[in-house]
Amino acid sequence: MALLELDQVEKHFGGLPAVDGVTVWADDGEILAIVGPNGAGKSTLLKLIVGLETPSGGSVNFGGEDITQDPPHRVRQRGIAMVQQTPRSFPSMTVLENVAIGALFGRAGSHREEEEALESAEEVLSFVGLADRRLDYVGNLNLHQQRFVELARAISGQPKLLLLDEVMAGLNDAELSASIELVRTIRDRYEVTVIWVEHVMKAVMSLAERVVVLDFGKVLTEGLPEDVMREQSVIEAYLGEEIKLA
Amino acid sequence: MTAVILDGIVLGLQFGLLAVGLTLVYGLGGVLNLAYGQMAVAAAIVVALAMDAGLSAGVAVGVGLLAGGLFGLLLDATLLRPVYRLRGEAQILLSLLLTLGVAFIVDGLLTWQLPLEALTLNIGGGAVEIFGVPMRRGSLWASGITVAAFVALFFFFRSTMLGRAVRSIIQDEEGARLVGIDPNRMRTMILVSSGVLAALVAVTRSMSIPVTVTSGISFTIFALIVTVVGGLGSVAGAFFAGLLLGIINTISSFYIGTFLTLIILLSAAALTILIRPSGLLGVAE
Repeated sequence: MALLELDQVEKHFGGLPAVDGVTVWADDGEILAIVGPNGAGKSTLLKLIVGLETPSGGSVNFGGEDITQDPPHRVRQRGIAMVQQTPRSFPSMTVLENVAIGALFGRAGSHREEEEALESAEEVLSFVGLADRRLDYVGNLNLHQQRFVELARAISGQPKLLLLDEVMAGLNDAELSASIELVRTIRDRYEVTVIWVEHVMKAVMSLAERVVVLDFGKVLTEGLPEDVMREQSVIEAYLGEEIKLA
Repeated sequence: MTAVILDGIVLGLQFGLLAVGLTLVYGLGGVLNLAYGQMAVAAAIVVALAMDAGLSAGVAVGVGLLAGGLFGLLLDATLLRPVYRLRGEAQILLSLLLTLGVAFIVDGLLTWQLPLEALTLNIGGGAVEIFGVPMRRGSLWASGITVAAFVALFFFFRSTMLGRAVRSIIQDEEGARLVGIDPNRMRTMILVSSGVLAALVAVTRSMSIPVTVTSGISFTIFALIVTVVGGLGSVAGAFFAGLLLGIINTISSFYIGTFLTLIILLSAAALTILIRPSGLLGVAE
């Protein structure tokens, strides 16, 4: 059975469909990329999963339970963590405090000890390579480092599903390779499923195991990365938009 | 001059603590609570009634703090629910209208049912000399309690995970929800705390001057001014702004006159908005 199942999920904003009857699933442990032109509804889809938006129709199932109406903090405690394109860490707190908050609150029945939360935060930070920055204020880190803090914060609650929303936008080549490698290691080490919305095609081709293409809020096609990218409909959907293979 | 400044510090500490309760509720829930001063006065009256009923001052104060917290809980569970669901201007406007209504109702009930003087706590014993200035024991007790409350607040927000969770909502509510923090739970906790803080300020205030049934509005106004100057959602900002404005207040009352003091304080707040809109230590949007 799939870990996450979206069944005919819809979201309308003022009558306009942003997500228009999307049915997708993610299997345990896979890295699924969701791609599509700007405005295809990719980010909205992620927001519907985590409860930042409530679907106008359809259902979201996670681990066999209906989470369609759950508020974000409940979704997180069930085991779905999200990292967004714009860093949402708390700038006036240290790196360690940020990650410890995720470790303490991001789990079901999160009445673990604070000590324990701090310890697991330290561990995750050394894993993403930020151990030496743990007492710095997040506001003093660069974008790339802030994304790593968010990744650390996301996995510190030991989620089963990790959603990444264009977390590789604006990175240089070295940072991009480091990020790709990190996501893969996170999946292997923490045994999480990754659903990943991305615009940087180079990253998609080298990391994704399966790709879903969205266009105008609908699923255009899905399959293996190299097959999907060769399909005529996908190429047409991207026409007028530069496919960032480079 | 030393005496004036010391008086200013005593007053300023209380201003600061008063503002904490207002600024946290605003930072966390977008609610500008205009009934805040009335919460303080209502709690003071509970203390007075409890003492009339024969309870010792200490126990009566405890009951008063509880009553303040209960007031906060009640607001959170009823009138403020629809406010939390709104965003932006609509949220602030609705919170202003609803809490102003509560303020009127509480004021009306109190002045109708009770004598003017609500609470005076007489702290016995002679004056104590500080820097050669004789200070009333009541003022010293009040300052001691207020400083202790600030220390507790700083510890809570800096060193406990729950405190950090509250700060995270003030900084970025969506981000906080995404890491598993339930904003409604935190808001309830902060509303209750703000009621307790209001009660505590009313109690410490009554150690140096009587708190009357009509003190509510001036409590709210002072809290608002300190909040604006200190920055919304900042405990440290409220502390420093409270001290600053307390000292300005006593200096201006002493050398210029009480009638102009409020104007001077309001000008300080207006000036802050013009020069530094996020306040001394506020969270910039």
